[in-house]
Amino acid sequence: MRLPLPRRAVLAAAVIGFAVLPPAGANPYFIYIANLGLVYVLLAIGLNMLIGYAGQLAFANAALFGIGAYATGLLRVDHGLPFFLAFPAGVAVATAIGVVIALPALRLRGLYLALASIAFAQFCLWAFVHWERVTYGAGGVRLPRLSFAPLPVSVEVGIYYLTLGLVVLMSWLAWNMLRSRVGRALVALRESEVAASALAIDLTRYKAYAFGVSAMFAGVAGGLFSALLGIVTPETFDLYQVVSHFAMVVVGGIGSLWGAIIGAALLVGLQEVLRAFRELQEIAFGALILFTVLFMPSGLIAFIKRFASGWDEPLRRTEGDR
Amino acid sequence: MTKLSLQKVSVAFGGLKALEDVTMSVPAGEIRGVIGPNGAGKTTLLNVVTGVNQPDTGDVQLDGASIRGLKTSQIAARGLGRTFQTSKMFKGMTVLENVMTGLHGFLKAEPWTAALNFKRVRDEERDAAAKSRAILDFVGMRQFEDYDASDLSFGQQRVIEIARALIGEPKVLLLDEPAVGLSAVRVDELDRLLRRIRDEKGVTIVMIEHVVQLVMGVCDRITVLNSGRVIAEGGAEDVARHPAVVEAYLGRAIGAAAAAGAGHA
Amino acid sequence: MLPFLLVSGLTTGALYALVAIGLVLVYRSTTHINFAHGELFMVGGFLAYTGVVILGWPYVPSLILAVIGTFILGIVSDRAIFRPLIHAPGLSMVLATVGFSFLLKGIGRLLWGGRGEFTSMPPIVDPSPIFLAGLPILPQQLVVLAAAVACMLALAAFFRGTTAGKSMQATAESTRASYLVGIRVERVYMYTWGAGAAIAAVAGCFMAPLTLLSPDIGFNLLLKAFAATILGGLGSMGGAVVGGFAVGIIESLAGGYVYTAFQDVSAFIVIIAVLVLRPQGLFGTRPAREA
Repeated sequence: MRLPLPRRAVLAAAVIGFAVLPPAGANPYFIYIANLGLVYVLLAIGLNMLIGYAGQLAFANAALFGIGAYATGLLRVDHGLPFFLAFPAGVAVATAIGVVIALPALRLRGLYLALASIAFAQFCLWAFVHWERVTYGAGGVRLPRLSFAPLPVSVEVGIYYLTLGLVVLMSWLAWNMLRSRVGRALVALRESEVAASALAIDLTRYKAYAFGVSAMFAGVAGGLFSALLGIVTPETFDLYQVVSHFAMVVVGGIGSLWGAIIGAALLVGLQEVLRAFRELQEIAFGALILFTVLFMPSGLIAFIKRFASGWDEPLRRTEGDR
Repeated sequence: MTKLSLQKVSVAFGGLKALEDVTMSVPAGEIRGVIGPNGAGKTTLLNVVTGVNQPDTGDVQLDGASIRGLKTSQIAARGLGRTFQTSKMFKGMTVLENVMTGLHGFLKAEPWTAALNFKRVRDEERDAAAKSRAILDFVGMRQFEDYDASDLSFGQQRVIEIARALIGEPKVLLLDEPAVGLSAVRVDELDRLLRRIRDEKGVTIVMIEHVVQLVMGVCDRITVLNSGRVIAEGGAEDVARHPAVVEAYLGRAIGAAAAAGAGHA
Repeated sequence: MLPFLLVSGLTTGALYALVAIGLVLVYRSTTHINFAHGELFMVGGFLAYTGVVILGWPYVPSLILAVIGTFILGIVSDRAIFRPLIHAPGLSMVLATVGFSFLLKGIGRLLWGGRGEFTSMPPIVDPSPIFLAGLPILPQQLVVLAAAVACMLALAAFFRGTTAGKSMQATAESTRASYLVGIRVERVYMYTWGAGAAIAAVAGCFMAPLTLLSPDIGFNLLLKAFAATILGGLGSMGGAVVGGFAVGIIESLAGGYVYTAFQDVSAFIVIIAVLVLRPQGLFGTRPAREA
């Protein structure tokens, strides 16, 4: 039996639910967690575009997230730019670096790409710590408080609504992209490079697009994250960060936009419950990835699709597709 | 009017000559078969035409223009459609989405215009879907448009792949062993489909084939390769009688077929 | 300074080579990279620590405990995780091994050490330096270097001289052909995962007294092993050995002559440089292509 849970209604309810949190008097901690969840939604969508749709197994997401955060933060601290200029500039820097690392990566496939991107990620982490003249080193860089001045909102609520708005906007952009020839070209790339190029799809161009788009999502998430925390520190962007993005994408549903959103929301909640116990976070995330890959490779979204109507999406991955 | 021609094409890998002075030209509206025993150079010929390998010497022309040095995707954009020996359906896409992917070169959407949902992107998507449904009608697979590609039988996947190549309005359709793995009934259906593609769509077809039944029945002319050289070219009967061919290929194939037939009896 | 740097580079390089050998062993027969390989190294180190420090055993029985324990862990992980995925796309296997690595890391942290804590392991032999031709050498380094080299020679003999070793080689060359000649490929895979894990554990046991143990060391070692395999050409056993020594020496020299912090980053630079300039490595044939 299928439940009458049409996607439109669920999405509208979710957006309204998030939107009424502050006026409903939710406590600041809860708003902070909701905000963090929204930031991770952006990260998960971006990573899913790259690995789920385009099939490019890259581990650079946390590094690009960090580049977005550092670029936004440092432009404010060192160059005195207001947040609303530093933020888009930071996104542009992350996107540009994403495309630049795509260039050598275009020649690499599968495991080679994975290894190169891991090395790149660790290199960035190293640079965040050791390039002290720019990044302020291991202690991180403390950012001035934001102000949403003419608007009558507190900083926390302002960042929260900004994040929510961007999540809605960017999910819509991603959705549109996926249902055009761009989305089809990405999936074709994932499934067979020879068949894709035989259909006049320019592999180089579409790989670069995939990297650029996912880097842009990571950059937006990074800029928002820097504003949310008020400090940018290197160890935030380590291996744990990238594996948590993987866990979100995989558990929610690899190659599904809605899956990424669901995975991010769920795992941020889990992470908060286990906040004090790093070892339990690792065990939980590791076990969840393993369990999903082994027993439900299409992720949670597959259950939703089975039991509720109206959740079809373009370029869906179906059950048993591994 | 010649649709596809190779002029004195030679390719060597290390010391091994995979193709040597191969010249052939396929006129418009022809179904051309390319046969030859294993290692004759059929795959290399295919790779040269699709831009996977570059000829060491000689030239390849598609619809009168040289395609030497172009990337695979550029050659595809100039009107070369192809299918593969093994299924290369895009899993996770529906049949309709698979066929729509074949229109890639005709569409204009870029990530930014698509993301912002421009009207012209919506319009081209609508047209692309309509066109894809029409081609699915043409190959008789319209009822499967919402199926996931991996839910279809092997033979059905092959037909969808032909549709996916055909929708790009190729000047030449290159088929790599289209009959491999198909039952005799399916081969007959494929045979009819290829004739219709030639007659109704005006597409020139080049097929690299092992299944003798299909090549002999449907091809207007056949080019026979052996050890990287063209050893014979002509109609099915001429080729079948050609002594070099009998020697190099058909002798063995017929012998094998006879042995297989004897085995069944 | 140079001889000192070379000896310490060779010593760590020998351990990188051992870790890389395990990685290549598994890659050659299954065409998958075990991203949890570093955590097997970590578990091996901590099992030895459990023997020596917690149980008060001598070093050698502790080493045996670590090797057997990790071998069993390798086999169990093969049965539970990798065998069901052996025909899955590469992505599933990468994700599964990444998930497994986090599971092991969390368990290691739970059992042996909390956040940011380092655990020290007593030295195998007297840690005071001896002087060879006027150069200060740590005897422990010599022991480790000798043991690692002995281990490599033993492995070489295993692959050349035993049926099991030859079966592993044959499976690596062609799975299909191995089936046809009656090799039980699943069983070979199982022992391959087990053997890869055990070799990692050996490296972990030797590394532990030289440095400090923490649940986070695995990933770092995995990266060094990646650098070694990439440098030597992914899939080449001899390449992994040479690559391991090379990475050890490059690190040691970069740290000693250029800038201390360069020691940490040189392996990443090696990986990126090799993949961009010469993806097939120094000894490998060609990078893997799409089938």
